[in-house]
Amino acid sequence: MQYLLQKMVHGLLLILGVTLVSFILMVWFGPDQTYTLIGKNATPEQIEDIGRQLGYDQPFALRYANYVGDLFTFNLGASNSSGEQVSSILRKTIPVTLALMIPGFVLGNLLGIALGLTAAQHRGRWADRLITGLSVTGMSVSFLVIIIVLQVLLSTPYGLNLFPVRGWQVGDPLSYFRYVTVPTLSLIFVTLGYNTRFYRAVFVEESGKDHIRTARAYGASSASILWKHVLKNSLVPITTRVMFSIPLVVISGSLLIESYFGIPGVGKVTFDAITNGDQPVLKAVVGLTAVAFVLIQVLTDFVYKLVDPRIT
Amino acid sequence: MTCWGKLNRVTPYKQKIIAVCLSLGALLVLSACQESADVQNTANDYSIYRHSMDGAPASLDPAQASSIYANFLAVNLYDTLYRYKYLARPYQLEPNLAEGLPEVSSDGLIYTIRIKPGAHFIDDPAFPEGKGRAVSARDFVYSIKRQFDVKTRAQGAWLWQDRIVGLEDWKEEGSDYDQDVSGLKALNDRTLQIQLISPFPQLTHTLAQGYSAIVPREAVEFYGKEFAIHPVGSGPYRLQAFDSARAVLIRNADFREEPLSLEAEGYNPESHAHLGLELLEGRSPPFTNRIEIEFISEDAARWNSFIAGELDFIKVPVSQFDQVLQQRDPPRLESSLDEDYHLLANLESGFVHTDFNMDDRRIGYHPDKTQNARNRALRCAITKAFDWQKRNEVFYYGIGQVFPGIIPPAAPEFDPGQDMGPVTRDLEGARTLLTDFGWNAENLPVLEYGFPASVTERQMFEQFRSFMGEVGYPQEKIRPLTFATYGDYARAYLNREVMLTTIGWTMDYPDAENTIQLFYGPNSSPGSNSANYNNNEFNRLYRASSGIQPSPMRTTMYRNMNRIVLDDCATISGVSRRLILLWDKSKVMLPDRSFLGGFFFRFVDSVQHAEEGNEAEQ
Repeated sequence: MQYLLQKMVHGLLLILGVTLVSFILMVWFGPDQTYTLIGKNATPEQIEDIGRQLGYDQPFALRYANYVGDLFTFNLGASNSSGEQVSSILRKTIPVTLALMIPGFVLGNLLGIALGLTAAQHRGRWADRLITGLSVTGMSVSFLVIIIVLQVLLSTPYGLNLFPVRGWQVGDPLSYFRYVTVPTLSLIFVTLGYNTRFYRAVFVEESGKDHIRTARAYGASSASILWKHVLKNSLVPITTRVMFSIPLVVISGSLLIESYFGIPGVGKVTFDAITNGDQPVLKAVVGLTAVAFVLIQVLTDFVYKLVDPRIT
Repeated sequence: MTCWGKLNRVTPYKQKIIAVCLSLGALLVLSACQESADVQNTANDYSIYRHSMDGAPASLDPAQASSIYANFLAVNLYDTLYRYKYLARPYQLEPNLAEGLPEVSSDGLIYTIRIKPGAHFIDDPAFPEGKGRAVSARDFVYSIKRQFDVKTRAQGAWLWQDRIVGLEDWKEEGSDYDQDVSGLKALNDRTLQIQLISPFPQLTHTLAQGYSAIVPREAVEFYGKEFAIHPVGSGPYRLQAFDSARAVLIRNADFREEPLSLEAEGYNPESHAHLGLELLEGRSPPFTNRIEIEFISEDAARWNSFIAGELDFIKVPVSQFDQVLQQRDPPRLESSLDEDYHLLANLESGFVHTDFNMDDRRIGYHPDKTQNARNRALRCAITKAFDWQKRNEVFYYGIGQVFPGIIPPAAPEFDPGQDMGPVTRDLEGARTLLTDFGWNAENLPVLEYGFPASVTERQMFEQFRSFMGEVGYPQEKIRPLTFATYGDYARAYLNREVMLTTIGWTMDYPDAENTIQLFYGPNSSPGSNSANYNNNEFNRLYRASSGIQPSPMRTTMYRNMNRIVLDDCATISGVSRRLILLWDKSKVMLPDRSFLGGFFFRFVDSVQHAEEGNEAEQ
């Protein structure tokens, strides 16, 4: 109980901190949406009217207090651009983003773990060098280039023309497979290098520990050492990486993918809100991301206990 | 051991976890699926037209139809009183929901318009029992009033501001929709009357714009703010789906029957015969059952999607011009594409120009007469040093049309025979001007060139800097003033903080008044006169011409105003970009991508569908 209470207090402070910093950035450095919403030949009075409607005339402290109040009561308001309720926008877009990102996220991590294990097992040999070299190459190529090349190779008459170039007309598992494949491959390609390098480092560190040497001394097979000892004992850093990637995957990771593949997810909506200065949408996304981080932090602690019972 | 055997060894607890994960995955995929009505296998469906736009509208409320994208949607989901003829160029007005052109009183102040009978709003929960009612003149009055209601955040009020008797008073008195406006009346269900404060010959043009589209009060009140995503109109299409990536429109089956007359729409066999439009003669639009509009701002994605056959229409990105065109002037399609696609090289209804901020004493007006003359000389030297040919070559593939001044070629008042001197580079003339007026590297002012951050804008700035370098303008004295977003840029120049502002203007109506007003003194920032230009003679001519119907005399006045702006060197102008439009030959259509041309959706058909339609009729 005390643990939960402590976590809640920490979480609350984190949410307040994140929302305050992001709110300062939005208000002082973000675009002024007044000038996007006014018509041609606007008069100073009309500009003032719009600014007032957007709440720009209110003191900063009051605006921030309203924001936090709205966030805790889940009263997210309506988009200043489309008038649509923000809750409705998120309800429609978050499932799309999750369905889009999860396959690439899961496969990117699983492949990263597999390649990391292989590289760690063959540390210093050609397999390790090959994997590390390819990882660095993958990390060096721009996400945009990967997307365009895969689109051309897999989706146009210049290449194999197997999948749609863009869109999200998903009605059944088959259409889901058609629309998600190329974005998933793009995501795997771009994340695999980072994942492999990270997991390799974790596994190499674990391989050098005393208990691994002891297992070897007992004559355990290398497969058994890899699966039972190295991988299992590396689950804590793996869990940390995976869990804390989730909120970022949902929001920022999907931005380019959604734009280039024409997928109506939350990343695209967030990007539009940033460039337009649509503060209700932006505030909701930032606030909910902070809440998601706090929840994931709590959840991660439970997962730690599951994967390593020594953690109290 | 088999996989199944291994699975059997998993504890029931873990089996439950696996089952929950799989269920969640399935649920996620299902929740990410779109409504079945919106998901169709459209690849080979000839009754579908797949259009691409290089931007997206944020709102579908006609009151906010300020972008080309929003205007396109507005004029297809809603009815306007007038529209532009499908094929006639220069653009010509045509009654749409109006029965005929307006009856105008002899003093040009009272417009009486009758609307056609039988137009109905689409069925929608906003109406009693969900049944769409007849459109009446009162709906038009309501729709224009909305533009003046602060709560609407309307963007079209400038069209009728200080034009219609009583509208400003109505706004001042609190925008009560039950209160009448003396100059905007529904005489009965089908007749409306507009009383103007002073003659406004462009009024009928404003009634062909998305801003003037007719909306039902019930729907606005029913949906509140979300009316912007729940359009309820009487146009040829109704909305089926809308998000940040696409909009899907379906044919309004109850749209009024109006058989198409190609002749009345401006058909010209010389330019239109190869398009197959004859198949449409005598049939009532809208012809296509479903229009899918993809919003694709990324050039590469738009092009890949088009070439993969996922789109029927594209505005070709400039980066692809080399691949698409085998000849620039006149533009001719590569033979590999010629079999499958039609090409239209369309000069935009607008222009790009770079204005000096005349409110800035370093470059613009100065109270001291001598300095004022020196500043003018400096501006003129800069315009002389600007190389329009290179600008056109590098950024517009050499197929844009460079012209002097502020009346673009798409305006009927454009003078094709005018002197091209102001847009012909004259380095010697520029240097002489600088020397004669005592400008040198030491005393030249720092030039701040504003633009929203983008690679192309930055390249344009660098090109400008290199042009100026050639007349001895020190490079370090020409500085970029970048802004993260267009909104930030707009805020800066509307607050007169930018010394040199580059703007693209798309004409709202085909009348040079729409571009000339950009330099009318009282329209200075935050109005559309971002140059803050204020010349008494120009202003006098503008006011004098504003009440005159199109005529040779008015054209002469417009051209005089053009000359005054050029003489004052208030702007470096300009170029009209040429758009390369491609569309699939299986479609019978003439596309348009201007503010004026959004009405063409209703006339789009496929060759197969049109042929079947004709056979059925026979």
